[in-house]
Amino acid sequence: MSFTSGTFLVFVLAALAAYYLTPKRYQWIILLIASYGFYLTGGVGAMGYLLFTTLTTWLAGRVLGALSDRRKALPKEDKVRQERIKRRKKWVVLAILLANFGLLYAVKYLDFTADLLHLPRPGFELLLPLGLSFYMFQSVGYVIDCYRGKYPPEKNLAKFALFVSFFPQMVQGPISRFGDLAPQLTAGKGFDADQVKYGIQLAMWGYFKKLVISDRAGVIVATVFGNYTQYRGAMIFAAVLFYCIQLYCDFSGGIDITRGVAQMFGIHLAENFRRPLFATSLADYWRRWHITLGQWMRDYVFYPMSLSKPLARLGKWTRRHIKGKLGKIIPTSIATFTVYFFIGIWHGAELRYFLFGFWNGGIITASLLLEGWFQRWREGLRIKTDSLPWKLFQMARTWALVFLGRYLTRAGSVSSALWMMKMTVLDPEVAALWDGRMLALGLNGWDMAVVFLGVAVVLAVELYQERGGHIRIALERRHWAVQWLAILIPLAVIVVLGAMGGDYIAPGFIYQQY
Amino acid sequence: MESKHKLSSKGWLALFALSVVVLAAALCVFNVVTDPFGVFDDRVLGWWSYDETNNPRTAKFSYLEQHHDEYDSYIIGCSSTSSYPKEQLDEYFGADFYNLIMYGADMLDVEQYVRYLLDNYTVKNLVLNVYIDNGCDYDREADPLTDAMPWQVDGSSPLGFYARYLFADPRYGWTKLMKLRTDSVIQDVHDVFEVDSGAYDKSRRDVEPIDSMESYLTNYPVFANYPQSAPVMDETENCMQSIAVIRDLCEAAGVNFMVVSAPVYYDYLMQFERAQVEDFYTSLAEVTPYWDFTMSSVSREPRYFYDATHFRNCVGKMALARTFGDDTVYIPADFGVYVTPENAAEHVAGYWDVPEPDPAQYTKKVPILMYHDLEGDSLPAAQLEEQIAALAGAGYTAVSFEDLRSYVEQGTELPDKPVLITFDDGYLSNMTYGLPILEKYGMQATIFVIGCSVGKDTYKDTGVAMRPHFSLEQAKEMMDTGYITIGSHGWDLHEVEGRDPDPIRRGILRRADETEEEYIAFLQEDIRRENELLHPILGKDADILAFPYGVHDTLSEMLLHDAGIYATVTTWPGENTIVKGIPQSLLCMNRYDITEEVSGEGLLDLIDGAAGA
Amino acid sequence: MEQLLRILNETCPGIDFENETALIDDGILESLDIVTIVGEIIDEFGVELNVDDLLPENFNSVQAMMALIDSRRG
Repeated sequence: MSFTSGTFLVFVLAALAAYYLTPKRYQWIILLIASYGFYLTGGVGAMGYLLFTTLTTWLAGRVLGALSDRRKALPKEDKVRQERIKRRKKWVVLAILLANFGLLYAVKYLDFTADLLHLPRPGFELLLPLGLSFYMFQSVGYVIDCYRGKYPPEKNLAKFALFVSFFPQMVQGPISRFGDLAPQLTAGKGFDADQVKYGIQLAMWGYFKKLVISDRAGVIVATVFGNYTQYRGAMIFAAVLFYCIQLYCDFSGGIDITRGVAQMFGIHLAENFRRPLFATSLADYWRRWHITLGQWMRDYVFYPMSLSKPLARLGKWTRRHIKGKLGKIIPTSIATFTVYFFIGIWHGAELRYFLFGFWNGGIITASLLLEGWFQRWREGLRIKTDSLPWKLFQMARTWALVFLGRYLTRAGSVSSALWMMKMTVLDPEVAALWDGRMLALGLNGWDMAVVFLGVAVVLAVELYQERGGHIRIALERRHWAVQWLAILIPLAVIVVLGAMGGDYIAPGFIYQQY
Repeated sequence: MESKHKLSSKGWLALFALSVVVLAAALCVFNVVTDPFGVFDDRVLGWWSYDETNNPRTAKFSYLEQHHDEYDSYIIGCSSTSSYPKEQLDEYFGADFYNLIMYGADMLDVEQYVRYLLDNYTVKNLVLNVYIDNGCDYDREADPLTDAMPWQVDGSSPLGFYARYLFADPRYGWTKLMKLRTDSVIQDVHDVFEVDSGAYDKSRRDVEPIDSMESYLTNYPVFANYPQSAPVMDETENCMQSIAVIRDLCEAAGVNFMVVSAPVYYDYLMQFERAQVEDFYTSLAEVTPYWDFTMSSVSREPRYFYDATHFRNCVGKMALARTFGDDTVYIPADFGVYVTPENAAEHVAGYWDVPEPDPAQYTKKVPILMYHDLEGDSLPAAQLEEQIAALAGAGYTAVSFEDLRSYVEQGTELPDKPVLITFDDGYLSNMTYGLPILEKYGMQATIFVIGCSVGKDTYKDTGVAMRPHFSLEQAKEMMDTGYITIGSHGWDLHEVEGRDPDPIRRGILRRADETEEEYIAFLQEDIRRENELLHPILGKDADILAFPYGVHDTLSEMLLHDAGIYATVTTWPGENTIVKGIPQSLLCMNRYDITEEVSGEGLLDLIDGAAGA
Repeated sequence: MEQLLRILNETCPGIDFENETALIDDGILESLDIVTIVGEIIDEFGVELNVDDLLPENFNSVQAMMALIDSRRG
């Protein structure tokens, strides 16, 4: 069921009604039924994957909890048995990681591996179920937290199943943490008009970005990338720009819908985007873009790897033998590369995504390494690091780096991405941007104007937010008639412009198959 | 600061709910007003051809609810049904036909519609067109908006039906409004139906020039590289059951029931499994006897088809002529067999043995020569004589456009080496110098006259001198010799820069300063005046035309077609191929411009190979 | 304490470690810095820190870091 379908709206309305009419103690059951109902509309076949992950991670949590209890009961002096239990816990986690990521691997990457090793592809075709990687990351994070003893494991399988399957985030995240989400899901909420209002507003903002801007921008992207050899450099560049617009508005819009719907149920989901446009470095960008994935990688890949014994030992050695900054950052660089490698292949099993990971890891490591130099330059050039022009320069630099990476993620292959980059530089033919050819890509002048106006609105809102403003709260202080207009106009815009982009059928969310 | 105009969150939610209701109501009103599927009787715009294109099932239903008393007979089936012209149906049956073609219709759709027609309207004749695809699809799950049947016909819930269309995506209605602005009399992809007949609007296809196979394959590459598919006929049984129901319903209602099986393009049929095809067409014979046009020499000639699976109106006309034994119309000998259970198996087995037809049997190459003035700075008469003598010596026979028409429409054979001699504009020199030469060598010719110049030797508005043109009486005199045919070169479409007042009309095309409506009115008036002039000597309206300056476009071709012009010529050099059964092969024909530089030998070189089979 | 401040200023120059109390919450330190700092602490103080200790509250201020180190030494 697509977020943009009328069925979804009716579904949410029905779920809300049932939720708030049910006594608080049982509200979570309504959420569970709604979530499984939502997932079932995506096909019965996908259900197997969901149940598998739910059951294995829930069981693992229980086992880990029992082992921890036994360990606590042991006298402190009994190091041997303590160690034995600790080792067992490790095995449990390892088994869960292997089982779940193995499944993910089989679904997403088996064909790719076979091709890489020049082996015949496996004869069976596994379907990639809705949101698989999102709920799998979320559940595996839970198991690791249980291992670390962050919270006692969930005893109730049904409540745990709700944590894994909570329907708004089944399509494209965010990846929530058990400690944040589970207590909210089962707490029971009275009807809070504020929360419902905020939720509706957030979802409307998401629909605006997705339906009015992203779907339109996507038309140009599909036309150009679908037949990229037909276009010269400037148009390819423009298409990548439109792709950035499409991707951000689609993904962040989808997340806003997710978080808005959750908020209508009184549930707060983690933020996944914090205005990435204002990022001042590539590292900063990754702290603002797909935040929950980045944090997951930090907590479950980067930290454990950096502090692992082999890397710590390597670190000691490099610090002693390699002078300067380089010696210090080698171990963390290795961990950084690993994280971006994972983020890269998380997008898909293709060489271009490996390169995408490598590109990001490389830039971030290089910037660490060269930080000293940059600082000396800045001092030499007397640049004020808190001045606006410098900020803008940093932002522009970040856009350029992200932009180059986007050639890789959108082009069909590494070679076509490289070809497009080459065209952008060597054969731009800038005149194509205004001699009417841009209007021959599937969007007429009116639709093009809608995209640019929409982007301008998004920019204005984000700038306001970046400076600490809160639109929803500011709006509350206005005259009721103004507030009504703030309902009617966006609604009309979404209904009229969101559905009138031309003769194309609303495409599915770009991220939901990832 | 507390404001008295503050809004509580509950109040906000109430306003939100109100806004949603208001917008939903607005959407409903919009969808009813624009009515892009014709489910609400399209009262405001009344643009049925658009609605029927969006969904022929619903829109034709609404249309028929209002207009069924204008019809007493129906032809029904999937898209190939549209190529049986209403004129022939009406003429042969002596009835008023409505073409209930619904694209992609399966036999269940047809059965439900027939039931409704018989229950609610007056029906004298029902013609059912069966196509090979009917064996593949049955009760197909369709798009809820563009393929839905009206609830009155398929018995579904009216509530769900209207809810779907009331809350339909507004871009359907919006697109209709947008297309309204650019609507043209030329058929466009958004209005492909002819409202009165119910058929596809083929006004464009019927004036589309058709020439050699080579040029056709360039224009229609689909036939050069036919799309491959693997169709499966697994619905034959259901299809036949529905046909049996239709047969019984008609019998019970005393309705004259006839079944025709539509021509299938050869390459398409060959992609089916032979056993399934044989089963389908022999099963059909078990249900009802039918006229079978499925496979014949027609199926192997791409020019009879306008896309991979659809045959042209001219083929539908031949099919109807065959069923009614009309021998005034050309029909390929192997086209159309009446199939009964007795001959079905043998006949259907013959599908795979249809030989590739021999073009010499039904196509002919005809060169056309174009002359103008025969004195002064134009072609001297002596040169004309050398050329005509050469033609006669080489065995050429001059023919008329009427001869070509007989070849195309009746299949009347032409002489071995036909040639057409034409003179443009109507110069007096054609009579004084040309006619004696033509008479001497026994060659006939056609003269296309500019109506407003007849009998004149000055330009009509400026009085500037020009070469003298013959008068109407002189034209009649020439016609009486039997060597001259008169055609139209337009009444006043041939203005000359500097000799006529600005803005000049250089050819038949619409001028940039005219609206489509103004242009149509202008051209119709021009045609009317030309006919007013020529009718007295022709005894009929002009029916052949040379395009002034050779230029033409779809709209002008359509208007000429409507005015009864059956043949047109341009000034583009080249040979022509005419095809039996395809009247469009007489349109926009090429002509060799013959100047005084061309010797007799040179002329023969030029047209050598452009004449004959 | 001074030893710790020296380490901090070496790894992340230009930050007012003595007075900041929300190094993590305000995003002054990021994951890469923390890992480097932890590496240095392990080296210099000879204590054992692991992933479970990487909580924002342990690194928000120099006092918090010192408290963490002390708890591991004891």
